[in-house]
Amino acid sequence: MRRLFLILGNDLRRHLKAPLVVVIFIAIPLVMTGLIGIVFGPRTEDTQLPPIPILLIDHDKGLVSKFLLGAFDADQLKKMFQVTVTDEVDGRRRMENGKASAMIVIPERFTLDLLEAKPVTLSVVKNPAEQYLPDVAEEFVNTMAVMLSAVVQAFADEARGIRAMLDSPLASFSWEALAPELGKAQKKMIAAERYLNPLLLRLKEEETKAGGAKTRFTRTDLFSTILPGMAIMFLLFIVQTLMRDLLSEREDGKLRRLMTTPLRPLELISARLLGGWIMGMIVLLVMVAAGTLVFRVNWGPFGYFLLLGAVASFWTAALFGLLHALFRNRNQAGALSAPIILAFSLFGGSMINPEAMPKTFRAVGILTPNRWFIDGAALIRDGRFPWAALLVLAVSGLVLMALAVRALRRRTSV
Amino acid sequence: MIEFSQKSEITLLEIKNLTKSFGDVLALDRFSLVLEKGDVLGLLGPNGAGKTTLISILAGTLRDFTGTVNFQGRNLFADRGLKNRLGIVPQDMAFYEELNAMDNLMFWGGLYDMPKADLKRRAAELLELVELAGRAKEPVKNFSGGMKRRLNTAIGLLHRPDLLLLDEPTVGIDVQAKVSILEIIRSVGTAGTAVIFTTHQLSEVEGTCSRIAIMDRGRILAQGTLDELVRIVGERDIVEIEGDFAAAVFSEALQDLAGDDVELLSAADGLASLAVTDTEQIPRIMDRLFGRKLAVTDIKIKSPSLETVFLKLTGRSLRD
Repeated sequence: MRRLFLILGNDLRRHLKAPLVVVIFIAIPLVMTGLIGIVFGPRTEDTQLPPIPILLIDHDKGLVSKFLLGAFDADQLKKMFQVTVTDEVDGRRRMENGKASAMIVIPERFTLDLLEAKPVTLSVVKNPAEQYLPDVAEEFVNTMAVMLSAVVQAFADEARGIRAMLDSPLASFSWEALAPELGKAQKKMIAAERYLNPLLLRLKEEETKAGGAKTRFTRTDLFSTILPGMAIMFLLFIVQTLMRDLLSEREDGKLRRLMTTPLRPLELISARLLGGWIMGMIVLLVMVAAGTLVFRVNWGPFGYFLLLGAVASFWTAALFGLLHALFRNRNQAGALSAPIILAFSLFGGSMINPEAMPKTFRAVGILTPNRWFIDGAALIRDGRFPWAALLVLAVSGLVLMALAVRALRRRTSV
Repeated sequence: MIEFSQKSEITLLEIKNLTKSFGDVLALDRFSLVLEKGDVLGLLGPNGAGKTTLISILAGTLRDFTGTVNFQGRNLFADRGLKNRLGIVPQDMAFYEELNAMDNLMFWGGLYDMPKADLKRRAAELLELVELAGRAKEPVKNFSGGMKRRLNTAIGLLHRPDLLLLDEPTVGIDVQAKVSILEIIRSVGTAGTAVIFTTHQLSEVEGTCSRIAIMDRGRILAQGTLDELVRIVGERDIVEIEGDFAAAVFSEALQDLAGDDVELLSAADGLASLAVTDTEQIPRIMDRLFGRKLAVTDIKIKSPSLETVFLKLTGRSLRD
């Protein structure tokens, strides 16, 4: 036992003297989690999109264009858009300088043509340097165009009347002549009110609650989903890197020298497997700490997660102990380990959400430690104990461990 | 086998009929050897002679052999505790390059049953001995080849073994480092530790070992002190002849000269060695060769040495 701890201490000391590999394998999953969360994560209230800068060129200056301009002044739209009214020359200059996400051009005679129910065109110039903000502006203008078209068609007769009056000289304007048009419009409004008040179709906003907790899916939730998958993938990477000592010592003669000392093969094997397990646990704990501090990840009950991490590290150490007893040399280990880990990670859900995978992939995923670890972590996040994940990983890990010890014993009996 | 040294009462190591095969290749063929306390045995042989196989079996890293090995009267492989009495210096630089020399010594020494304080003292003492005390805290990866070899040797001496096995400990190092290691081997022997030291460098065993064993094809051909071995070839000179001839034709040409005065030691195409009682025999030899129209390009005359012994016993030079 004393020699076992001597080997263990020596291994840890060696890896601490050259910690770059360990640091890289801890840093990569954290950085990747951060990037994925930032790019694909939902927005929380305090991280809403900034108002989209829009330029509005009004060549019409008519009733409807004023209506459009007024619409942007509504409270909800004010939060979404920051509208600047300008002329076309200034607008184009600003667009070229990237000062706005989109420019809306209202053409001359826009109001008049619309009231005559003639086709009109609203132009939206988008900033190609921006990814999705111009699309938001375009969609909004599209929606407005559809609404305007609907209104104009519903009130086509009244619009024609109003149009005729707008064309007539101011001196000949007659309120009496306008009264019948307004009366018809009023009747349509009253008729429409039957459908509009109350609205036949209503949108009901609701938030689901679980155990009284707020469960709106936030970016933090995304981190909580991604990080366990990343953690198990890089746990596999780091443990396989450490287990490569088994091969390098065999190749450079240290194993033979170790076996000339009173050290027993089982002590050496146990030290190596224990070393892999401990390093796996250190990596997981650092990731848990960083995930909590940096990404505010909710891991659920820490004790449960610690247990799951311990069993997963044990499984990983046993697997790579076995594989490194079977591999002939470091080159072979290097060539085969990475594809194995990547396949585990792909099918097991470290790279793609298992729900989004084809059925066959999901079935294969059950054979990977990634899937059980990710599922276990999800259960723990919900406050539940991951019985199935622990049982599967522990039992299969024990089988792998037995095979690894047997194979390594054969290898150390040089 | 030719043996000169007498077996003393204290037998440290006794190897009897050790045989080991790798498939069809017989690496050790009924190998037997007796070693006393303080003996420094130089095991001399060409590549493939079986030297490393012997060291590996004694070190316990090679199995599936026949024969017996008794160490201090006990079966070496049945008693794990005896590993504490063996020191091994392998051909490979077997230590951790990312650690410093002191950490390496503390680790390797820790695997033996040594009290920590004693180990620390011993490590410092050995660093002095191998002239690495000034670089004790430096990562070994920064060391030169010679410094690494010296550290490799020191690791084998940490636990004050009764028997030290060194497998070609001077391979690939400069002359200065080689001299230093050979000096360490001599001093270890003087201190009472028995040493088996394999090499194919004649010069190394000549000045270092108290006994020399010449080994080829898995067997010891002769062993004894340097003087005892040189007596095998007597006081005769060795004549090495180079030329454009076939081995068979060369042998046939000198057939009727063979006797006490001229002995054909070896003959290969283009190169042959003969032992002669005096150099006056050389003109007679040349007459025979020229009579058969054999072209001779070079003649070398060598005084009796370990090399001539080796040549006599194995029929080939150590460089073969």
